[in-house]
Amino acid sequence: MLPEPGVFHFPWEISSVQEGAAVRTYGRLRDLIASIRNPEVSEAVLSSQHLSVQYDITVHTAFVEPFLPSLHSHYIVLGDVERTEGDGVMVRARVLNCVDGINLALLQQAIVEQRRYLQERDEHASHLKIY
Amino acid sequence: MQTEQGEHEPSSLLWGLDPVLSSFAKLYVKDILRMRESSQIPVDDGTGVINCLCWKDEKWRENTDAVNSGATLQVSNKGGFNPVEQLKKLKLAQKLSAQLEIGDLLRVRGSVKTSREQREIMACSYYKVNDPVMEVQISWMMEVLHLYRDFYDKPFLFTKSVQHLDTAEGDDLLRSLSVLRRASRLLMSFIREKGLGSFRPKDVQHLLMPLLSCAPSCSTTQQESTVAQSSSKQVHHLFRDVIKALQDEGLVFRKVISQDEVYQAREQDKELRRVTKDIVREDSGREKYAEKGCHVLHILSCVRQTYSRNVSKSVIEMVLRCLERDSEIFSTIDQNHYKYISVTD
Repeated sequence: MLPEPGVFHFPWEISSVQEGAAVRTYGRLRDLIASIRNPEVSEAVLSSQHLSVQYDITVHTAFVEPFLPSLHSHYIVLGDVERTEGDGVMVRARVLNCVDGINLALLQQAIVEQRRYLQERDEHASHLKIY
Repeated sequence: MQTEQGEHEPSSLLWGLDPVLSSFAKLYVKDILRMRESSQIPVDDGTGVINCLCWKDEKWRENTDAVNSGATLQVSNKGGFNPVEQLKKLKLAQKLSAQLEIGDLLRVRGSVKTSREQREIMACSYYKVNDPVMEVQISWMMEVLHLYRDFYDKPFLFTKSVQHLDTAEGDDLLRSLSVLRRASRLLMSFIREKGLGSFRPKDVQHLLMPLLSCAPSCSTTQQESTVAQSSSKQVHHLFRDVIKALQDEGLVFRKVISQDEVYQAREQDKELRRVTKDIVREDSGREKYAEKGCHVLHILSCVRQTYSRNVSKSVIEMVLRCLERDSEIFSTIDQNHYKYISVTD
């Protein structure tokens, strides 16, 4: 019995991830908000830009507190997706690491290439099964 | 309370169900000192999660002097190299690199085993990796991808004869393979010693004569003249095989295909190296290649247009690797893209 792997998702894909799935994603730390429900616990907002649209991901940081926040730095988060009220999406972080200085373009390329390869492999495997 | 040495402990996911875990248990000091730390470490690489059994070396539990001094060491700065101090530092560094927390990046090496229908990795070595800007993880993702594409996914091709290695035919094949290897080495070391930039078959064929006695196709029943004839034929055949193998490896190529059979030794060919370097240098400055670098196939087609149509991909790849080794160019996104190292880089 092991947890699901945190599969890499781009910030603009998080809203379409199903509830409870484990994800890895990234963004710049834009804000730290104290939760209204529980003032001791804070939420972080990771922000990214894609095709001139800004995507914000709310990250629940209870499991990774205390962490020294570095505003405007890049962070990688590994956690579980949860739906919030309305259409909101939140990631409950199990790991939150500052990766300031990261080559985002290279990371994006690595993610795309890995996905493409794994997809090709799955298609090939299912193609073989048909015959 | 604690599982005995060697017994399989429950999955870490289930630990939260044990109420003792989250309470302050009242224990004998004797037991606290003897407590075994969990060796089960679930590791997630983004494609799956697997348990790694990372056993800690017992010697690190001992109350050595290194541990007494805590996480930092007082270095007596009397100058010179103090082996005792350095050894303490090394042991401490080793210990710290194995102290793991959730979220740490690990490199694990070990063998796969199945325990209670679950795959696990029995780690023979593991250590923390310091990767502040995710450089290691990104290059790992790209590297593994290429390994799969270039090696793991390609079926290992056994030639028909190799499949019957216990037969005389298989024996023959093995022997001729080793003759081929020795012949290639002989030829290459001759070319390198003499600094030959180019050569013709008649310049080097004599080197292969001693190897004929090992060649499996020798017949002992022929007359002397025919023996002499057949040995020159055998040398010729052997030379053909060797030269083809060297061409495939990219060590040798023919600049011009003509009646005159001249082969160029790639390592000695300064002109080829210069032309390739110039192409990479000029194109690295162009906007099209500024970010990703020039692709090997592009460099190859330019070399073919300016230097020789007969340069093969393996020859160009070897030239580029040599240029990279000599720090004249560097590979950018993968082993297929190169850029020139300019003074401002």
